[in-house]
Amino acid sequence: MDMTLDSKKDTLMDYIMKNCLWQFNSRAWDRELQNENIIKKATQLLCHESPEKSTPADRCYWAEAKQLVDEWQCFPWLSKMTATDTKCMMGKLKNDLDSQLITNSLNEELNDPNY
Amino acid sequence: MPCELKEKKRTGVINPIFTCQPAGAQYASIGIKDCIAIVHGGQGCVMFVRLWFSQHYKESFELASSSVHEDGAVFGAVQRVEQAVDVLLMRYPYVKVVPIISTCSTEVIGDDIDGVVNKLNEGLLKEKYADRDIHLIPIHTPSFKGSHVSGYNVAVEAIIKHFAKNDKKDKKLNLLTGWQNPGDVKTLKHLLAEMDVDANVIFDIEEFDAPLMPDGNHVAHGSTTIDDLENTGSAIGTIALNNYEVGKAAHYLEETFDIPTKIGPAPIGIRNTDTFLQNIKELTGKSIPESLVKERGIALDAITDVAHMFLADKRVAIYGHPDLVIGLAEFCLDLEMKPVLLLLGDDNTTYTEEPRIKELQNNVDYDMEIIMNADLWELGDRLQNKGLKLDLILGHSKGRFIAMDSNVPLVRVGFPIFDRAGFYRQPIVGYEGAMILAERMANAWFTDMEYTKNKEWLLSMW
Amino acid sequence: MPYHEFECSKCIPERIKHAVDKTPAENLSDALPLGYLNTIPGTLSERGCAYCGAKHVIGTPMKDVIHLSHGPIGCTYDTWQTKRYISDNDNFQLKYTFASDMKEKHIVFGAEKVLKDNIIEAFKAFPHIKRMSIYQTCASALIGDDIKAVAQEVMEEMPDVDIFICNSPGFAGPSQSGGHHKINIAWVNDKVGQVEPKITSDYVINYVGEYNIQGDQEVMQDYFKRMGIQVLSTFTGNGSYDDLRAMHRAHLNVLECARSAEYICNELRKRYGIPRMDIDGCGFGPLASSLRKIGLFFGIEDRAEAIIEEETKRWKPELDWYAARLQGKKVCLWPGGSKLWHWAHVIHEEMGLEVVSVYTKFGHQGDMEKGISRCEAGALAIDDPNELEGLEAMYKLKPDLIITGKRPGEVAKKIRVPYLNAHAYHNGPYKGFEGWVRFARDIYNAVYSPIHKLAFVDISKDAISTDKNFVTRQMLSDKDIDPAVVNSKELHEYTGEFDSIKKLRNKEYPKFPQKGKLTAV
Repeated sequence: MDMTLDSKKDTLMDYIMKNCLWQFNSRAWDRELQNENIIKKATQLLCHESPEKSTPADRCYWAEAKQLVDEWQCFPWLSKMTATDTKCMMGKLKNDLDSQLITNSLNEELNDPNY
Repeated sequence: MPCELKEKKRTGVINPIFTCQPAGAQYASIGIKDCIAIVHGGQGCVMFVRLWFSQHYKESFELASSSVHEDGAVFGAVQRVEQAVDVLLMRYPYVKVVPIISTCSTEVIGDDIDGVVNKLNEGLLKEKYADRDIHLIPIHTPSFKGSHVSGYNVAVEAIIKHFAKNDKKDKKLNLLTGWQNPGDVKTLKHLLAEMDVDANVIFDIEEFDAPLMPDGNHVAHGSTTIDDLENTGSAIGTIALNNYEVGKAAHYLEETFDIPTKIGPAPIGIRNTDTFLQNIKELTGKSIPESLVKERGIALDAITDVAHMFLADKRVAIYGHPDLVIGLAEFCLDLEMKPVLLLLGDDNTTYTEEPRIKELQNNVDYDMEIIMNADLWELGDRLQNKGLKLDLILGHSKGRFIAMDSNVPLVRVGFPIFDRAGFYRQPIVGYEGAMILAERMANAWFTDMEYTKNKEWLLSMW
Repeated sequence: MPYHEFECSKCIPERIKHAVDKTPAENLSDALPLGYLNTIPGTLSERGCAYCGAKHVIGTPMKDVIHLSHGPIGCTYDTWQTKRYISDNDNFQLKYTFASDMKEKHIVFGAEKVLKDNIIEAFKAFPHIKRMSIYQTCASALIGDDIKAVAQEVMEEMPDVDIFICNSPGFAGPSQSGGHHKINIAWVNDKVGQVEPKITSDYVINYVGEYNIQGDQEVMQDYFKRMGIQVLSTFTGNGSYDDLRAMHRAHLNVLECARSAEYICNELRKRYGIPRMDIDGCGFGPLASSLRKIGLFFGIEDRAEAIIEEETKRWKPELDWYAARLQGKKVCLWPGGSKLWHWAHVIHEEMGLEVVSVYTKFGHQGDMEKGISRCEAGALAIDDPNELEGLEAMYKLKPDLIITGKRPGEVAKKIRVPYLNAHAYHNGPYKGFEGWVRFARDIYNAVYSPIHKLAFVDISKDAISTDKNFVTRQMLSDKDIDPAVVNSKELHEYTGEFDSIKKLRNKEYPKFPQKGKLTAV
């Protein structure tokens, strides 16, 4: 059976939650930056676009994204998706990350103003 | 005078010999059956002491904390004790004895643990635990006084004061053991049994060497019961080993209940064991049996094999509990050895009055230093920078690096020993202990001879 | 994910929100244990204090420093020789500990004078050491000694010494974690930026949250050096005081234990723009990913690849020998903080172990997020466990192994669950490729210990088998596995040395000529 876009997204979400650490920065504002930038760069890589990596911060986001996308080669369906579908899926993926780790998170330390 | 008693000159401590008072109170507490102490202070004061015991025994012992955090340190934390007692009693239905042990922080903030015990006795215990026999015992052990040795002394006194009664039917001989290992307690019991003496051993910690049983038994604990503790006030006599560890309790029993008391050395070495038996004889009227004459003979025979051939004139440094250090020094002298440096690691000022130290001062015929308020750097500095020559060091495991860096074999004796297996099981008291100690020293020396190629061939023909 | 109620803790209802059973259908926003809250007194929690978190966990692994605690003797004694953070300077930090030995008169009259004498004495006793950390304790905090002022005075009198002050008394926070935080912030505020380092590579990192337990840092540093990366500093295992004052000059902060050291990475990111990259040094897969990410950041991914290939080829057959024999064994992964998430997924994936429970003594909710995400459904996650809950969980879950601290390990032993030391390791290091095999070997040795099996026999009730005079580990482990695996010529047991670190010291590394500053960094 073909996977739906949502089930593909869920598969990738599970992969990130199980294997990555970048989404777990300790504060909400850092999580927002991490999710946004790493998912954006991963999306660009999946769509054969060239992510920005001229600043140290961008380079770090890119390294995380590049490594992730390289590891995702274990999902053969990913490379067969259209750019539009990929962007749509990755958008949903980012929403899930934001939802689980920021907006609906039960972590009471996320909005502590100090590190 | 060749034997000099002096204080460490530095103000600070580099590599401590001792830890603080609450640790000693905790050691006393774990000797009691159905007892979990609550240490009133930060969590580290408990966590590390539990770790310390488990390093030595490879066992876990139950001790609780009142977990004082920032708010408690600012506003007072007695309510943490109240909560701790309630939580502990709810979850540990067998617990009967709860010592409340103070620490530096709660003494500085002035928490009134006596007051809170009164309050709990009148309130919580009557309202919620009326059907249980609960004993809350406040024990004041500020960490900025004394050491774990004085903490043990203070705690044993507080516990005995709480329980001792003079109207009990059971008339036994009190044996306040001091800070011992299970192997020592077993040996002490054996000597008493051979003397046909029914003794009340405080604390009976033989079970600290806990078995791994098919039905599971998750912690080690002492076996001294409330009944045993109450009986101490009705005893026919008290033998207290180690004045600095149980002297306070022994004096209390003597003064309050008029119990004939002998505060004597722990039976370390042949001579001190003879004294121990003599003290038992005097207090009980029992005679020393043939079996102990034989046991003594076996030890003498074994020790003779190593003493004047190998141990004679060996220069040793000794550190640890004061009673232990003095006892070991005395035994070493009988073995023809030369204890040249004794380190007593706390700020007790009464060592200058100690008759056993005076005896050393009056009779030692070579240079001996006894350092009060000592740390292990008193040893390390002498070895590494001041040209002190030693053949052996006697002490606990915390001195292992100084010994290794100085290439002097460390014979493990005392507490804690975490870098050798099973030493808590091997007695150092009694005739058997004397034999074990002498052989342990000889064997350490033999190994050193072999691995430093120092007349290693000597042992081929022995 | 329903919250888990322990029978033994029904009488303290606030505990219920500290444990969760992981279910497949729900996620972190449905349930997450509370964390880093004040401990309930009298529970027999396993937590330590903020002083030990600062001094013992993070401060003392710094190797060229006199570590002096300002307070009564116990704090110093108790946190001395209870950890295995080694160093390549003959373990000075393990061997020597210093206390101001505060007494009653100091409590009454103040201890600043005695502290000053102490500092001078300590430097005099070890004239080759010119750096010092002073740790406040409960007592010195409560009497209000101004440690910083005293240190300043000494530094003015002795211009060749430098002193760091960490004000983290035992009561400062619910657990040792409070101390991790305090020392992170104190270091970045007081010491970072004071030294300009010699830069010897185009690729410069700080390796952060790594304490060189049994040599972990030296293993990872070996990989970094083979990649031509300059490890400017390590916070703090095997780390040097002055190197750590130069942290601001790194291009990247590579963060291992985020629990204890993310604060300083966050501050360095905010203040100096140094990116933070979280990595896993444990497990072949996670470690390979981590080295690749670092390689990518610097554009030297080929160097990472070469190491991964070489190390995997060398050690994978040994890992797989153990993995084949550990499939399905149940583990309670009960460490202090970060191991909960560093190990939760990878001991499952690479060794086939089933993690039936995770716990954290001093972690925060963020650690639980990571740990719960990484372990499999069905696992029980517990925050700030206490002794009775641990026992209840073990009786219920019947693990084959518990990975935890020394003393709780003794509790487990008594109910016949073998334990491995999560904090100090049994026979580590456990980081790196070889280290991961050592970990698998230690797990195997624990799970298949013949002596341990004998503990299950009640000779008074059970039949005693008299047909065997001995049993080997392999007689136990190989009886139910595929004969092809048993007979494999390729797989074999660990072949490394007892000490795997010695060979790394004084090792020659390839020279990578500096090209100049990277455009991106």
